Amino acid sequence: MNDIITTACKFVTSSIGRKIIVALTGSCLLLFLVGHLAGNMTIYGGCPAQGEPSWIDAYATGLHSMPVWLLMSIRLGLLLILLIHVCFTLVLKWENYHARTHYQKEGTMKATLSSRTMVLTGIMIFCFLCWHLWQLTFNGDPHDCYNHVIAAFRNGWCSLFYIVALCCLFMHVRHGVQSVFQTFGLNTRKVRPLYNIVAVLFGVVICGAFISIPVAVLTGILH
Amino acid sequence: MANLNLTLKVWRQENAQAQGRIETYKATGIPEEASFLEMLDIVNEGLVHEGKEPIHFDHDCREGICGMCSLTINGVPHGGKHVTTCQLHMRQFKDGDTIWIEPFRAKAFPLLRDLMVDRSALDKIIAAGGFVDIRTGSAPNANNVPVRKKTADAAFDAAACIGCGACVASCKNSSAMLFTSAKAAHLNLLPQGQPEKNKRVLAMVRQMDAMGFGNCTNQYECEAACPKGITVDNIAKLNRDYMIACASEAVGVFS
Repeated sequence: MNDIITTACKFVTSSIGRKIIVALTGSCLLLFLVGHLAGNMTIYGGCPAQGEPSWIDAYATGLHSMPVWLLMSIRLGLLLILLIHVCFTLVLKWENYHARTHYQKEGTMKATLSSRTMVLTGIMIFCFLCWHLWQLTFNGDPHDCYNHVIAAFRNGWCSLFYIVALCCLFMHVRHGVQSVFQTFGLNTRKVRPLYNIVAVLFGVVICGAFISIPVAVLTGILH
Repeated sequence: MANLNLTLKVWRQENAQAQGRIETYKATGIPEEASFLEMLDIVNEGLVHEGKEPIHFDHDCREGICGMCSLTINGVPHGGKHVTTCQLHMRQFKDGDTIWIEPFRAKAFPLLRDLMVDRSALDKIIAAGGFVDIRTGSAPNANNVPVRKKTADAAFDAAACIGCGACVASCKNSSAMLFTSAKAAHLNLLPQGQPEKNKRVLAMVRQMDAMGFGNCTNQYECEAACPKGITVDNIAKLNRDYMIACASEAVGVFS
């Protein structure tokens, strides 16, 4: 037992160990994004304006009719995963900053813009998340979800903020997805281009689909 | 053959404690076929004739195999042409160019003087586990120990690392993952390295962390800067081996 605890302590303080934890929590958050997107896409089902029952209202009501303990444990679990992801990355970033002496003339060969702005886009996503939770999760009636979303996105500034934040999410995910494969040791020269394509496709599909909602409201497709 | 006239922006610093600064020098009449180090030799000759202190820089074999030469040229270690600085020729530059020359920078590489840094942190990583304990004797007969061709090639590619430290110097986080992973993979891939694989991985990674290098963020600048073409596949392998080694240590497989 002692061996296990000692090794675990060494693992969570080592550079590779912490990277693996960041990659693990990151992958959980990526899976959450997929689930969240699947739920959001129900907004395109049924049109309350024409008297049809809205699918998203049924989905939101369904979520809220879960037992309280289950809903709260899912929420707390997600919060915990997010906090671990954020705290570990910030500590790693802090160490990285202090491991370096800066050049008078900086040069970059291969590092992508998204990889160099991970902390920035991460902070942007965090701010967006706080706003998003306040606006659409903790305020509003789940039985009237459809109209609440439409009303929120009719505001151009609000939609613009969502679109910008989701572009940040794309950049974050684009580096994150291919990074997960490398950190888990699943990368080889042969499959690296494939992982890059997977990362870009994942980002485009997920973020594109999320962005489609405010765009659809602004262009009057959803009303 | 044309001669080049260049402007050099060179980092000068008397010792580790002194305040460093960029100084500008004119390099005139540099032959195109000169190597980068030979260009600095010409500039230094001029400085010595003027009674000034020459620019101090590391160099040894000048054949691209010893890993002693360093220099960050225009923000890129070894100039980013997939060769060491000693093999970088002045034909890569144009007449009238301004070239920034700085040392390999990282907290784990303390500066000694001008462009010389102490890279012994890398030696300490090797000393922690980059070896095989058993007596290997003289070279064995070919095919005495069967090794798959692909494995032998991968191990040889990893062993090509000359330990110059360009990976650390180019990394945005000053991480030594490419170096450590190449040195570990070189032995971990081969049958002779198997008995001590887990021990080696744990010792080398822990030593690397203790030396104050940063953490890898998978940006692959190291791979682009490496004069020996070491790939980041080695880093993926080290991550994999580290997970296995930790699990083995936790359950006491080799304690």
